[in-house]
Amino acid sequence: MKLIELSDYTLPPTGTGSGLKKFHFTLSKGDICYIQADFPDDAHLFLRAVALLAHSGSGTYRFAGEKIDFSDHTNLLSYKKKIGYVTNDASMISNMSIRENLLLMRYYFENSLSLDIDDNVKNLCTVFDIYDKLDIRPGDLRPTELRSAIIIREITKSPDILLLERPEDFVGQTKFNFLIKLLKKMSLSGLPVIFISYDTDFIKEFSNRKIIISKGNLTTVKD
Amino acid sequence: MYQIAGYIGRKTFKSVNHILDLFAFTYRIFNLILQRPKEGRVLVRRVMLEQIYFTAVQALPLLIPIALIVGSMLIVQFARISNQYDTGTTMVLLIVRELGPGITALLVILRSATSVTIEIGYMKIFHEIDAIEMAGIDPIRTICLPRLIGITSAILCLFIVFDLVSIVGGYGVVWSFTHIDLGDFLGQIAKAVSPTDIIVGIVKALCFGIIITVTCLYHGFSIKKNITGLPVATSKAAIKCFFYCLIINVVISIIFYM
Repeated sequence: MKLIELSDYTLPPTGTGSGLKKFHFTLSKGDICYIQADFPDDAHLFLRAVALLAHSGSGTYRFAGEKIDFSDHTNLLSYKKKIGYVTNDASMISNMSIRENLLLMRYYFENSLSLDIDDNVKNLCTVFDIYDKLDIRPGDLRPTELRSAIIIREITKSPDILLLERPEDFVGQTKFNFLIKLLKKMSLSGLPVIFISYDTDFIKEFSNRKIIISKGNLTTVKD
Repeated sequence: MYQIAGYIGRKTFKSVNHILDLFAFTYRIFNLILQRPKEGRVLVRRVMLEQIYFTAVQALPLLIPIALIVGSMLIVQFARISNQYDTGTTMVLLIVRELGPGITALLVILRSATSVTIEIGYMKIFHEIDAIEMAGIDPIRTICLPRLIGITSAILCLFIVFDLVSIVGGYGVVWSFTHIDLGDFLGQIAKAVSPTDIIVGIVKALCFGIIITVTCLYHGFSIKKNITGLPVATSKAAIKCFFYCLIINVVISIIFYM
């Protein structure tokens, strides 16, 4: 079953990219796609479009068969909740501690402020060496620690799709192997992933589909 | 000649467009008050209380001395020129009707409006608004709504504090320079204050609260993703808040007192 379907989608260029001309893209369970693009900005733009953070006004986006209505931003929220977004522009709320950031979704949907992080999150925080920094604000963390916290937040929200941008740079080489194991475990359950990476070993080991963005045209190829 | 006319026309359209945007944004936030979903109430309440604390409680050490100075100044000056008999009435006219709401609004603009614009602009530039949306949370509900309720409630409370401190406190500061009996002074004030004055004060405080919050939130959200736009948006927000508050002040005064 197609989880995501983008039809006749056009995206205007950003930064140094050339944008994306009318393209058609589908993503199903079990697809692990890596993006190969002329310009990094185009690859990033594509990830933002899949995450519903960029839209040009033309084209159709279907999520699990339902057509998404872009006329009101509140229509997009229930879909965005299901997308894990781990890219260079992912961030944390700077006036909340790391713990509060990790618990933000639960605070909101469970309507309670007296919650604590569960064991799975605690274990991940320990592995990524940020457990003793949970009560610090994002601005006081090192960049790799902050990105680790972002990965933990996105993975533990149990997304239906995961979008990654250069995971090898995100957590640093020391933690990258652990991240690969984690991603493989998640992909065994059919979690579709779209990622950008410059690590050829990771691409060969992990992906089963290639997205090629060249001169604004998007095509997909099975690996 | 045509170029001047064209320029004036474009500026007028831009201003009208901007006012309509502000109305639409205000309507959007008020709609959320009516919807009242269960999710996120505790989070919204927490942000609202934090905003009230920042805008009202932390402003008191600044507001009280200003109120005392303004009140003392007015009593001293009017005691000299009005032979001390109309001082209470004059105090009501100036402080309760005009200076109280005006100075309170100015203080809130200088402290809170600029802070809110900077905070929202920063969140927009560094993708924190996107992060909130990716958690499935409506940023207008968790950011805008509690600030609107918080700042409006805070202005109303600060306005009441300002009036009381400037009138009674001002008298206390200058009692040795005037020969007005406290009982006579308060009696004059009690006679001069009418229900209209109280209603006007509340209406002004509510209008100022809404205008200030909506304007500074709008400018915060309008920042393009460029840090150099932040100081420009902040100063525009502060100036526009002040200007709109002056206009509304005049309009309300005309409606109720003419």
